[in-house]
Order: sequence, then structure tokens, then C-alpha cells
Amino acid sequence: MHILDGFLDLAVAAVCALASAAVLAYAARRVDGELSDARAPLLGLVAAGIFAAQMLDWPIVGGTSAHFVGGAFAAILLGPHLGALCVATVVTVQALVFGDGGVVVLGANVFNMAIVEVYVGYAIYRALAGHHEIAAAFTAGWLGITAGALSAAVQLGLSSAFAYELGTVVLIMGAGHLALGLIEGAITAVVYRAVVDARPDVLPASPLREVKA
Amino acid sequence: MSALDRSWFLKGLAILLVLTLLAPVFGWAAGQVGYAEPLDNAAEATGATDAAETINPGLMPDYGVPGLGSASGTLLAALIGTGLTLVLATGMGRVLAD
Repeated sequence: MHILDGFLDLAVAAVCALASAAVLAYAARRVDGELSDARAPLLGLVAAGIFAAQMLDWPIVGGTSAHFVGGAFAAILLGPHLGALCVATVVTVQALVFGDGGVVVLGANVFNMAIVEVYVGYAIYRALAGHHEIAAAFTAGWLGITAGALSAAVQLGLSSAFAYELGTVVLIMGAGHLALGLIEGAITAVVYRAVVDARPDVLPASPLREVKA
Repeated sequence: MSALDRSWFLKGLAILLVLTLLAPVFGWAAGQVGYAEPLDNAAEATGATDAAETINPGLMPDYGVPGLGSASGTLLAALIGTGLTLVLATGMGRVLAD
């Protein structure tokens, strides 16, 4: 769902850039001092894993497809603030080094994938984790990417290149990612389960584990 | 980094290597099925496709390396991008930890 340069009106791109800068500055302040040196390599591994996984476009016959975005995944593993900074790093490298996603619209792409998907995914995970952690991770991935896509659809639908056809864009992107998001949810749940089994200590405290502790 | 952390980090690096090796395979498969995202479909439906402009092609446009073949270019781009992200995010983590 990387938006290209030329797709957004400058005013829309500017508002998104300001919003992203504000949220990331807040996120950086929230994690400042709370992050231990030992967790820095985990941040690196998660970011690099998300970069690599985003290169794997799911080959679905019929053409319309997507790739793992990983916003909810990063939020669950790292906490929402560090998760946002993590995905923002990935999206910025993609735009600057590989021309994947525009530079004028970088703030919008960061907003959709590193902020909306991360914070919405995290909120869903927290709301459901007390009932069933794996189902919570699945739903967070699924609805997180759908929320990110809807955010992108609104930005595009409010721009002249997309003829201000807000309804059409929201419908195509919302429905598309609601269906494709099931794969995002499945990957999020499977990898989350693997991390919980291998190293539960690296995860931020979840509602369930807090109860157990 | 403790011995346990080191072994865990090395396992993480191994997983990253596997993912990057998959990149050319998935790239080929995406080409075979005519990969398009919902955003591309929305652009087509509203006539926005031609509005796309390339302001910054990047050093490795479209995850390829100019002059290299498609599979080897994708693999090199995946290795460089993954490594660069690893270094940048770890560095950011260290700065935030201070």
C-alpha cells in the first residue's frame, strides 16, 4: 500500500507528514530511557525482518495481492512506540534507497503503515489478549493492515489524482485488504507464537502474562 | 550480550538470510501472476495511474541493481536493504537506550 509521488495533493501530504513527525517524536520521547541496551539488537532484527518480509509479494493467482506489512507484529513484539519507530525506519529505507513509495508522500506512508497499523493493531491486541493471545495477534494483524489501507484510501480519495472518488477508493482498498489481511493476521499469529515459545522474555508484558506473574 | 542473547541473535540473522534468499523466488512468482495491489486497482479505477511520478528512483530502483539480472539484482537488493535496516534500527535502539 505504498503511495507513489504524484498520487496525493500537496496539502494532504503535508498534513500527513506533520502528523507523522508529531507522533514519532512522541513515540521517541516515550521510549527514551526505557529501552535497555540489550533490546537494541531486537529492534534491529525486527526491523530487518519486516524489511525482508515486505519484499515477499504473495503470488496469488488472479493478480490482486499484497505483502506482509508487519505494523501490528512490531507493536506486539516491541510495544507500540518502539514498533512505530521500527516500521518508520523500514518505510524510510524503502522510499529513499529503493524508490518504493514516494518521498513527498513519505509522511503519508509512515502514517498509514508505521502509525495507524501499529497503534490500531496494538489496541486490538491489548483488547483481546486477555481472552486468547494467538487470536489477539491474528486479529491485530488482520484489522491493523485493513485500518492502514483505509487510512491510505482516505488520503488518496481526498486527492485530485484519484478524482476525489473517496467512496470508490475506500471500497477497493478496504475490501481488498480486509480479505488479504487474513494472511497478514495468520503470519502475525504464527510468528508471534514462535517468539512466545522461543523467548517469551523479550516481549513487553501482556495482560495475560501480567496476570500469570 | 550474554551467550544466550548471542545465540538468539545469530538465529535471528539466519532467519533474515532465509528471507532474503526467498526474495528472488517471490519476485519471479509475483511476475508470473501479474501482481497488483488494491492501491494499483484503485488508481486504475479512478484514472490516477498516469499521475504517478518518480521524484527519487533510489540507488536501487524497484529492488534491483542496475546492470544485474533480475534474480541476482533482487537478491543483492534484499541483502543490502535488510542489512542496512538492521544497522539503522539497531543504531536507533542504542541511541534511545542511552
